[in-house]
Amino acid sequence: MHSLKRKIAAHLALVAAIVLIGGFLSATLVRLAPGFDSDERELDPRLNAESVQALRDSRRQSDNIFRFYFHYMILAAHGDLGQSLALGQPVRTLLRDRAPLTARLIAIGLSLAWAFSLTLALSAAWLRLSIYDTATTILSGFFLCMPAAVLALLSVLWNAPGSLVIALIVFPGTYRYTRNVLLKAYYQPHILAARARGVGEARILFWHVIPVIMPQLLALGGVSVSMAIGAAIPVEALCGLAGIGQLAWQSAMARDLPLLVNITVLVTLVTLLANSSADVIGAVIRGQEV
Amino acid sequence: MKRHSKASTYTARSCSKALAVILCAVCFCSAALAQGGELRFCLRSEPKTFDPLKVDDDASGAIRYLTGGVLIRENRQTQQLEPELALSWKVSKDGRQISFRLRSGIFFSDGTPFSAEDVAYTIQQLMDPALHSPTGDTFRSGIGSVETKVISATQVSIRFPAPVAGLDRLFDQVAILSEHSLKKEMAVLGPFMVADYKAGSSIILRRNPYYWKTDAQGRKLPYLDSIHLDIQPNRDVELLRFKRGEIDLINSLDSEYFDKLSATSPQVVHDAGPSLDSEQLWFNQAAKSPIPGYKKNWFRSTAFRRAISEAINRDDLSRVVYHGHAQPAFGPVSPANKFWFDNNLKPQTYDPETALNTLQNDGFRIENGTLKDKDGNSVVFSIITNAGNKARERMAVLIQDDLQKIGIHVNVVTLDFPSLIERMTQTFDYEAILLGLTNVDLDPNGEMNVWLSSSENHQWNPSQKVPETTWEAEMDRLMRAQASASDPNKRKEAFDRVQEIVAEQQPFIFLINKNALSAVSTSIHGAAPVILSPQTYWNAEWLTVAGK
Repeated sequence: MHSLKRKIAAHLALVAAIVLIGGFLSATLVRLAPGFDSDERELDPRLNAESVQALRDSRRQSDNIFRFYFHYMILAAHGDLGQSLALGQPVRTLLRDRAPLTARLIAIGLSLAWAFSLTLALSAAWLRLSIYDTATTILSGFFLCMPAAVLALLSVLWNAPGSLVIALIVFPGTYRYTRNVLLKAYYQPHILAARARGVGEARILFWHVIPVIMPQLLALGGVSVSMAIGAAIPVEALCGLAGIGQLAWQSAMARDLPLLVNITVLVTLVTLLANSSADVIGAVIRGQEV
Repeated sequence: MKRHSKASTYTARSCSKALAVILCAVCFCSAALAQGGELRFCLRSEPKTFDPLKVDDDASGAIRYLTGGVLIRENRQTQQLEPELALSWKVSKDGRQISFRLRSGIFFSDGTPFSAEDVAYTIQQLMDPALHSPTGDTFRSGIGSVETKVISATQVSIRFPAPVAGLDRLFDQVAILSEHSLKKEMAVLGPFMVADYKAGSSIILRRNPYYWKTDAQGRKLPYLDSIHLDIQPNRDVELLRFKRGEIDLINSLDSEYFDKLSATSPQVVHDAGPSLDSEQLWFNQAAKSPIPGYKKNWFRSTAFRRAISEAINRDDLSRVVYHGHAQPAFGPVSPANKFWFDNNLKPQTYDPETALNTLQNDGFRIENGTLKDKDGNSVVFSIITNAGNKARERMAVLIQDDLQKIGIHVNVVTLDFPSLIERMTQTFDYEAILLGLTNVDLDPNGEMNVWLSSSENHQWNPSQKVPETTWEAEMDRLMRAQASASDPNKRKEAFDRVQEIVAEQQPFIFLINKNALSAVSTSIHGAAPVILSPQTYWNAEWLTVAGK
């Protein structure tokens, strides 16, 4: 128990450090990106020299990246995430308004991906038919080769939900890994022996297979969250879904430093927490086994 | 006979009843057609603000147009000014003051009464120097504060520190705010009001119950119950949704999409003719640019710029890139701008031979098919344009091909927009740029910052302390003269000369004026797409939806 607490604390410290470093690297990259200092509004011929200068000054506040990031962290600690340069709204409001859609999209997408993967992988493990295995391998290979943008455009064309696209992007990775792990587990000597003794498939699955492969599936679960978040950006941008992914795309295009830093921090945080949670739960399961 | 008479009476009665039923049905149908319903279309970005005074993007501009009440409205069809909240107005002879007589009995959407105090309040807010609003900046012609004087509840006058050219026309962009309403900018005087906003997704505008306009039959406007605006940056998705009948109109169509739609549903597409928007090419003439000196010399040569202009086949640009939905440009003003277009301008003819002669007279020569300057430098330059704009990318390639015919090698470079703007406005690290100007203002005063040599938006050579050429000095003088004159004909005379200088000197090589293309579903009645923004819904209060 004590070691578990220590493990959780170590994970949280690591997460905090990576989030801070990730945010800083993101800010630095955006600051160094060509076009950071410019604003499309400068081309508006109606603006006078003072207004153009005001626009430029608003960008130059983040000239010194160290000062910007230090200032950002102090404000963030007080709950102020800054103001979006491109959209002119508080970043906190933008993230709050758009996070539910992305969360829903990712949750449904992951659920579907895992449902497809587990169903097909279990069928492959139970049936052990080479023709079935080949068919599912071709299917997963097809979706693995298909660019996320193409799937997103097809979903627009066929009016399919964005969550289905995320599911199809995540599915090949999760299916291949789950299938391999399951097949390996089913070929373990004690499971072969249990089968020979006529133990039911359900009992074998829940008592002998799942406990063995659970830590690996949890690790894969953590990774699949990262995959789903990555997929959400092109899917939301191309399907016109107003979530964090679309916001990330828009902020990158507009070199919107405050917004991009916050999105990076948020995405890093969610990804790391998902992976760390999987790691900690896996450790707990392994501990129970011991 | 009697029986016959009875039968006739019966028949007549039956006919009258049938007629009455038909009439009732027609009346009912027409009433149903004229009232209610929802118009749906897409905004291509999220509005940055609902505050009409801070509008600096298209989406916010659309909301302002549909919800804001203005004193004077520029009729998008006739291009003439029409009274709205102001019954009448008068601009003083010196062009510094405007006096309004306002309508009475008008209310904001929350029931707050409208008065001259609201006009004065709006102007004071708009002219706050800290606001940095494009609308406010168009009124700033001199140093000093703006004075507003409320004479009575229906009379107000506004005095500016210096003459403002086209003063009354500028009020088309000024939506009046309520001084007293607790809802602040959400209390509006226009036909619709913001009822619901889902960030990044949609905006619903509902009919303003206090809107003051009625039709000839005394029915309250607008006819529509609501407008549903979906925020949809992806144009392919917008087109798909239009085809599926999920949206009723597309305000601005690319020529490629126009042709696709035209092939399947010719009745829904509208080509209103050349718009105010232009596409142009210009060379970097800025002294502080980091490009080699010999190239600067080419770009500063009037003969060189004129030759390039002559060597570009504008008809091809229109035909190939815009599928015929564009017209070769004459100069800075589109022929669609009825008053300000200089009818004496001649269209630029495509003549590569004359172009080559012009260059040879300027010291250039052809060697092995390559144009060289008098020092032996091969004439090679890059044109940059924004990545992702298919039309510009194709135009750049056609220009590259045209200039190859006179021995000039052009490299086409596409950059994302922020990088391009940085090169254009800050590092000046470019040779030529192909870009477009979106003109929202008919009056040339709106482009003052483009033509004055001291301005940052004088793109070919910005922020000059003193004009570096005599023709730029003349343009400065003419632009200032037109800005301070109150007589529209004198202003036009001065601006015509500016257009002629641009045609002679080619600081901007104007290429084409794109046509205003739009699509409107057949279920929408009353739509009459025009060239001025907003092309399709400029008369939103009069639009009706079939079957409603």
